[in-house]
Amino acid sequence: MGLTFKIAWRNIWRHKGKSLVIGVILFIGALLMTVGNGMISGMENGLSENIVNLFTGDILIISDEQEKDNILLDLMTAKPLKVIKNYEAAREVLESEEMIADYLPAASGLVFLLNPRSEMGSVYLLGVDIDRYQRMFPNSIKITEGRIFERGERGVLISEFARKPLYDFMEYWLLPQDGILDESKLPEEAKEDLANLDVRSDIVFMGASDSNSTIDIRVPVTGIIEYKALNKIWGYYCLVDIESFREAHNYVTGADRAAELSPEEEDLLATEDLEDLFSSGDLFTDVITDESITLDQLREETARELVDYDLDDGSYNLAFIKLKAGVSTQEALAKLNRVFREKGIKVRAISWKEAVGAIGSMAVMVKAALNLFIMFIFFVAMIIIMNTLSMAALERTSELAMMRAIGARKGFLRRMFLAETSLLSFFFGGLGIASGIIVIYLIRAADISTTNEILQLLYGGEKLSPLYTSADFLLGLVELGIVTFLSVIYPLRVVGKIVPLDAIVRE
Amino acid sequence: MNVIEVQGLKKDYPLGKTIVHALRGIDFSVEEGAFLSIVGPSGSGKTTLLNIIGCIDHPTAGRVRIHDQEISELNDKQITDLRLHRIGFIFQSFNLIPVLNVWENVEFPLLLMKDKRKEEIAARVERLIRAVGLLDYMAHKPAELSGGQRQRVAIARALVGNPDIVLADEPTANLDSETSESILKLMRELNEAERTTFIFSTHDPEVLKYAGKIVKIKDGMIVGQE
Repeated sequence: MGLTFKIAWRNIWRHKGKSLVIGVILFIGALLMTVGNGMISGMENGLSENIVNLFTGDILIISDEQEKDNILLDLMTAKPLKVIKNYEAAREVLESEEMIADYLPAASGLVFLLNPRSEMGSVYLLGVDIDRYQRMFPNSIKITEGRIFERGERGVLISEFARKPLYDFMEYWLLPQDGILDESKLPEEAKEDLANLDVRSDIVFMGASDSNSTIDIRVPVTGIIEYKALNKIWGYYCLVDIESFREAHNYVTGADRAAELSPEEEDLLATEDLEDLFSSGDLFTDVITDESITLDQLREETARELVDYDLDDGSYNLAFIKLKAGVSTQEALAKLNRVFREKGIKVRAISWKEAVGAIGSMAVMVKAALNLFIMFIFFVAMIIIMNTLSMAALERTSELAMMRAIGARKGFLRRMFLAETSLLSFFFGGLGIASGIIVIYLIRAADISTTNEILQLLYGGEKLSPLYTSADFLLGLVELGIVTFLSVIYPLRVVGKIVPLDAIVRE
Repeated sequence: MNVIEVQGLKKDYPLGKTIVHALRGIDFSVEEGAFLSIVGPSGSGKTTLLNIIGCIDHPTAGRVRIHDQEISELNDKQITDLRLHRIGFIFQSFNLIPVLNVWENVEFPLLLMKDKRKEEIAARVERLIRAVGLLDYMAHKPAELSGGQRQRVAIARALVGNPDIVLADEPTANLDSETSESILKLMRELNEAERTTFIFSTHDPEVLKYAGKIVKIKDGMIVGQE
C-alpha cells in the first residue's frame, strides 16, 4: 500500500495541472454539498423547532372518522374536522403514557364572516384553553396590542397577519377592547380616510357544523398577536377561547355538561313522544305576554348562566401532544395507535408532518430540490473527473504498460489510480467540506431573515440558520466517497485494458 | 539444460485487409546462462519473437516453454507472476518510472513480489546499483540521468529479482557507440556473475562480438545460428 500511495502522491505532483482541475471540481462539489446539507439540516431543524415546539407538538390526536390527516393549514377545503367522540377515554390514555410530556386538547376549524355587502368570508380559529395553550407552547405568541383573554373568559386573539385581510373584507378595523388606535398600523387607505374609519372590538363568527347548520356568535377581540416564527404561515389562525369555538360549531360545551336541569326540564327531555309536548296546556301557561322587555334585558336573561365548570368536559376535535426528550416519534405513534385500537377508542395519532400537510409537502419539495441540485453538481463533477482521469490513463499508457510488463498486476495499477483520486478527494474534498462549514457559520453570523413565506420554508423559520451536524459530516464523507468511487470506475476500466505489449508498441 | 524451448512459433498481424506474417515458424532453444543475440534487419521479427518469449504477446501458433512450463496454459495472473519472478526486461527506451528515483526504480519489482524482507531488498538493490556503477546517483530521478545511466538503471531493475532470463530489445539502439559498448560489457559481466540467461536483439554488427550465441532471423524465419 505504501508503494501505491508513494507513486500516486508523486504522480499528483507530476501532473499538477490535471490534479488541480480534478481538485478544484472536488472542492467546489464538496463545498456546495456541505452548504446544501447544512441548509437542509437547518431547514429541518428550523421547521421542527418552529412548528413542533411552537404550534403542533410532535404528535396530534384526531378522530378516527377524520378522512384526511392534513388537518392544519389545509386551506383548500372548509370541511369541518370530526369531533373526537370519546375524548375522555383518549385522555385517560394520554394521562397514563409516560412518554408524553404534555398535551393540549383543542378545536380547529374554519368560521365564516359576513361583510356589509353580504359577502361570505372566512377565518381559521384554534379554540383552546388559553392557560393550557401557554403551558404547552410557552412564548409561541407575542401580544402586540391589548391582552390575552383569561381562562373562562370569552375572547379572540386576532393575528397581525389576519388583521389586514379582515379589514379589507369586513371594512372595519379590529381594535382590542379598551385599546388605543395605533395609526401607524393602519392600512394606507384607512389612514387617508381616518374620519370614516370604522373601528370595532368584537367580531361575529358563523360556525359551520356537520349538520350544515350555522350558529352566529359575537366574540370580543381582547388582543392582537404575532407568532414567534412562521407568522405568515401560522398567522392564518386566530386563537379563540374553546367555549366560543364549541358554541360556534355546535359542539358540547363545558358549560353544557355542568348545567343543572330542573325536574321539569329533565321530564321534558325524557319525553319519548314529541306529540305529548303539545297535547298538554302546561307548556305555555306561564308565558308572560303583557310585560315589555328590552333587547339588552332579553340578552341578559337568555345568556348562559356562568357556572363553575371544567373546560375539559366539552368537545374537542384534536389534541396536540409533546413527547418527552429522546422519545422517538415513530415509536410513540405506533404505541399510541396500538393502545387506541386495543381499547376501542375511535381516535388515531398522526405525526406533525402529516398534520401540516401543505407545509410538510412543501418542505419535502424544497428538500428534494436542494438534494437534486447537489446531485446535479456531483453528476457534473463526476463526468469531468471521469473524463480527466481517463485521459490521464491513456496518456500514461506506456508507463503503465511497462509496469505490467515487469510484473505489476492489473490490481496494482487500479489501486494506484484509485489512490491518486482518493488522495485528491481527501485533500480537496476535505478542504471543500471545511470551507463549507466556514460558509455555514458565516451565513449564521450574517443574521439573514425574511418575511417571504416560501423563503421562510426554505429557512425553516424567519431567520436563515443553516446547521452542520456530525450526521451531515458523515453524510458528506459518504457522498464524497461515492462520487470518488463512481468517477474512477471508468478510468479503472481503461487502466485494466492496458496490456504489457502497449509498452513496446508505444516505443 | 534448456531454459527456453520454442517450437513452430508463428505470429500473424492483421494489417487492414492483409495479414502480415511476422513469424513463420521458429524453432530454437536457449541453454541456461547463455548470452544470446537475435540478429536481423528491421522488420525481420526480432521484437515479436522477444515479446512472445517474454510473455507480453501471444503466438498465433506454436509453443513456448520456459523451464518446462508451457506458457499458453497460464492465465493472466500466472503470466504476470512469471514475468515478475523469472523474466527481466530491458527496453529500447529504458522505460523507467519517472516519479521514482534510481533506488526506487530498481527496488520496484522486489516490492511487487511482497515476499521479500526489507533488509534483503535493501541489500539486493544496493548490490545491483553498485554493479551498474550508479551508487552516486541513487537519489536521482530518470529525468536527471543520461541515456546510458538510464539503461544501467533498467539493467539493474531487470536483474534485481534474480530472474532466469533477461530479455533486451535493442538495448543499445538509443545510445552512442561508447555507451553501447559499456552497456554490453556490463550485461556480459552480469551474465557471467549472476548466471542469468541474456537474450538481446540487435541489428548492429558491432554488438555481435559480445554475443555467446547468435540466431539470425529474416522475414520471420531463422536463417542461421552461430
